[in-house]
Amino acid sequence: MENRGFLLYPRVTLKINKLRFFECGKQLVSRGDYCVVYVFPPVVFITNLSNMSSFRKALKSQQKNHKERSQPGFRKHLGHLEKKKDYKLRADDYAKKQNTLTALRKKALDKNPDEFYFKMVRSQLKDGEHVANKAKGAEETTTQEERKLMRTKDLRYVELKRVAEAKKIDRLKSELHLLEADGKQKNKHTFFVDSKAEVADFDLAAHLDTAPELVDRVYNRPTFRTLESRSIQGAVEFPAIKKLAKQRKLQYRILSQRIEREKKLFVISQKIQTRKDLQDKNKKVRVSKETVNAAAVYKFEAKRKR
Amino acid sequence: MRPGFSPRGGDRGGRGGFRGRGSFGDRGGRGGFRGRGGGFRSPSGEGGFRGRGGGRGTPRGRGGRGGFGAGRKVTVEPHRHEGVFICRGKEDALVTKNMVVGESVYGEKRMNVEEGETKIEYRAWNPFRSKLAAAILGGVDQIHIKPGAKVMYLGAASGTTVSHVSDIVGPEGLVYAVEFSHRSGRDLLNVAKKRTNIIPIIEDARHPHKYRMLVGMVDVIFADVAQPDQTRIVALNAHNFLKNGGHFVISIKANCIDSTAAPEAVFAAEVKKMGSENMKPQEQLTLEPYERDHAIVVGIYRPAPKSKK
Repeated sequence: MENRGFLLYPRVTLKINKLRFFECGKQLVSRGDYCVVYVFPPVVFITNLSNMSSFRKALKSQQKNHKERSQPGFRKHLGHLEKKKDYKLRADDYAKKQNTLTALRKKALDKNPDEFYFKMVRSQLKDGEHVANKAKGAEETTTQEERKLMRTKDLRYVELKRVAEAKKIDRLKSELHLLEADGKQKNKHTFFVDSKAEVADFDLAAHLDTAPELVDRVYNRPTFRTLESRSIQGAVEFPAIKKLAKQRKLQYRILSQRIEREKKLFVISQKIQTRKDLQDKNKKVRVSKETVNAAAVYKFEAKRKR
Repeated sequence: MRPGFSPRGGDRGGRGGFRGRGSFGDRGGRGGFRGRGGGFRSPSGEGGFRGRGGGRGTPRGRGGRGGFGAGRKVTVEPHRHEGVFICRGKEDALVTKNMVVGESVYGEKRMNVEEGETKIEYRAWNPFRSKLAAAILGGVDQIHIKPGAKVMYLGAASGTTVSHVSDIVGPEGLVYAVEFSHRSGRDLLNVAKKRTNIIPIIEDARHPHKYRMLVGMVDVIFADVAQPDQTRIVALNAHNFLKNGGHFVISIKANCIDSTAAPEAVFAAEVKKMGSENMKPQEQLTLEPYERDHAIVVGIYRPAPKSKK
């Protein structure tokens, strides 16, 4: 084709249907190829267009998409049509299972009825599962939950979460002052009086100048004067008060949940830290065992660090 | 529930803008740390535990519009001690009436209550941080700090409790706030800038003669100095500034006086010391559940002799 002189001669583009003995330079022509045929009596030159990549690509727009064979409608009930790769998966799986079964059968046949290990004394089958019996007096040192966290989360992450929790607790505590919280620690109130006689006829309500029914309401025991001269402001209608009480209760619940969570995270972070500390080669003695609620305590030998 | 992984989708609503110390103080979500005094985060005006809804971007006050009626989100009941209130809504808090409306001192929460025309703002007073607040909620008989009173506050620290005392005494009263540490004294000065009834004194309370020219006679001395010679410090100041028949309120931390003795014994010893200084204790109160091994002792200085019948 380099020789542009060819272009002057009559030519025709055609698809090769029958292949006899055409040969065009070193390029072979095969059936289905598109070729330019130069008629140059008494010789005919053929250029194979199918070898030009641009032409090949252009041809793809015309060609039919390849469609994978699927299960014909009347055989639908047999499921999808299996191909070689599907068969391969199935066959390999089957072979593997068969091998396992053979191996197990062989093991069962080769079993020595007199075989004994001491571990057998401490283990048994429970619901078909092999369980090791716990040593006597051994307690659970970690909960399932703790184990999972310790395995998956790293110390810094746990610590981050704990600190975030602690801050939220702080913030909640700044507006929830445990006024009527039940189970709160009792404090001790002492009054100093001058004589024993005064001790004998000491009346708390009278001393505090408040109504006797308010004496137990420690967080606010208004004096008679306050009760007479001042009034409650803000939401005073019953439905509103009820709604607020409900919201308040919820807030307290959130607070207690957060405190609980913070405690748990603290234990976990301590346990992770202890495990880390144990990895070095310093001498240490265990002071107390690990429990569900506390990390183990070790005493490390004091070592001069330079 | 797994610990530590908040089922509530983390900290919602922390997007109110207005971080830092804008004109809205630390409102709007988690206000971050404020200065160095508190190391304390804002109790989130908007966000926090609103649950659904996320944060509203607007810096409106709590208890504003919305819900059931304006200013109806809290009940405010007057407390036994004048100038102190109990605020019960979604929050359950001891509050004082805010003297500088629209400002939080250490990131505490503010609540608004509308009574007819007037709008009153209250500030939450955290008993977990303030011994005086803990004593009030513990049911102390008298604090002697009331509107119009002149108070000497020893151990003012960053001025968090002092700001509430200043709320209580009001514009008629005075608070002489004594603090030795320069660092927390700086925060105290900032508080005093906004509140004209606080007179900050950055000086050692052991040497009252150093600030005697600043201080007049006072009605009450409140002391939270946590020093082994605390009673002596209070007595020195009482001899200089406390009027006859004036009162003292001392917060005692057992650990700071004697960490080996039992707290009860420490309190008793302190009470005994007071007797020898012309200070007559009238009541003593431990601060559970807010503080451990703390007590507040309230008493009278140089009481008038009893009239004989």
